Amino acid sequence: MIGATSVGSSATAGAAPAVAQVTAVEGGLLAFVVLTALATALARDVLAAVIVFGAYSLGMAALYTFYRAPDVALTEAAISAGVTTVLLLLTLAKTTRIDHDVALESVNLPAVGAVGLLFGGLLLTMGDIPAVGSPDAAVWSNPEVSQWYLRESYAQTGVENSVMAVLAAFRGFDTFGEAVVVFAGGIAALIVLHREVFA
Amino acid sequence: MSDTRPGDDPVGGADDPGTEEPPVDGDPGDAVDTDDAPPRRADSRSGRPDSERRREIPYTESQVIMPTVKIVAPFAFTYGLFITFHGAGSPGGGFQGGAIMAAVVFMIAFAFGIEATREWLANTVVVALAVGGALAFAGIGLIPVARGGAFLQYDLLPIPVKYGLESVEIFGIAAIVSGVLMGLFFLLASGFDSDGSGFGDTGSAEDDADEAADDPDAPESDRTAVADGGER
Repeated sequence: MIGATSVGSSATAGAAPAVAQVTAVEGGLLAFVVLTALATALARDVLAAVIVFGAYSLGMAALYTFYRAPDVALTEAAISAGVTTVLLLLTLAKTTRIDHDVALESVNLPAVGAVGLLFGGLLLTMGDIPAVGSPDAAVWSNPEVSQWYLRESYAQTGVENSVMAVLAAFRGFDTFGEAVVVFAGGIAALIVLHREVFA
Repeated sequence: MSDTRPGDDPVGGADDPGTEEPPVDGDPGDAVDTDDAPPRRADSRSGRPDSERRREIPYTESQVIMPTVKIVAPFAFTYGLFITFHGAGSPGGGFQGGAIMAAVVFMIAFAFGIEATREWLANTVVVALAVGGALAFAGIGLIPVARGGAFLQYDLLPIPVKYGLESVEIFGIAAIVSGVLMGLFFLLASGFDSDGSGFGDTGSAEDDADEAADDPDAPESDRTAVADGGER
């Protein structure tokens, strides 16, 4: 509810070119993500927090798409917005639902102060971060790593998606380790829950 | 009480089967709850869902959700297959496609009931996906080793390098991810299982707590019983 009402107001706020080169869509998505994150942290009802957290993940997926990282966006949408929300809801269904009189958690002022200090410290580093999509950004323009992979991934693997070329070929052993970690996670869940069959 | 725990320890059988124990929250004496509002428990506070209790997950047939899922599920599953098979030429890959295909199973389970889906999708399928995926990934990686190369050295495979990558994504990663996610879903839906497992300690402690809750002369253990129930 909170996130839904914030979309309309933030979209109109983002339309004003207050910050340099922040489009309306980008500003709206950023405001949506920040507000849903705040609502997730402040919601007193756990069910509401889980649902708003799913909306946050969906907003992050849209933001990743906007920043042209569709692989990350697909993962965020499928895993965070979909699977994690379903698993959290499933867990909540097995717990006790508690009625709350107030909708929002009471704010802990020292915690807010600590988070504000950290946020201010991080904000100080913003000046050294290159602009989004800048061709001079070091992560993009260095010829040894990024440009090498972009140049060589198709030549060496014949795969157009260089993300997949890096994951499955250049870093294939890491990916094998990650896949085994996922498999081991399933086995660990079996052990923790004292079961011998998945389904 | 005794019919909800078939084949449990003999301590539970010693109870009078006629007296159904009221929820402990109904006792006016307990003041353990730290929250403002008193907790309202949806069902029995027994922390050991057995086969009957597993079916207690709320499921209501919805005339909106079931036809919607019937229409959407084939398209979503096809999209998952597309993402998996076209990871080489477009965004995505085995991880994302496997997650989408597992999410289709979640969707079906929410529409038609988790237990019905559990019976429809046999345990063999889930285990075969997870184990077969891990074995396929390792096997594809080890074929070049057998030919004198390095692990996952794709140019030593008998197929083009591109198809080597795609086979890893399809038969390895997508299978592992979809199988493990489906398994986690059904595991979380069933929760703890008491039959044939080492849950005797918790069970006996809870039975002690139940007996103590029945006994009005033991206020201290009554309090611990409420605390134990509140932890779960």
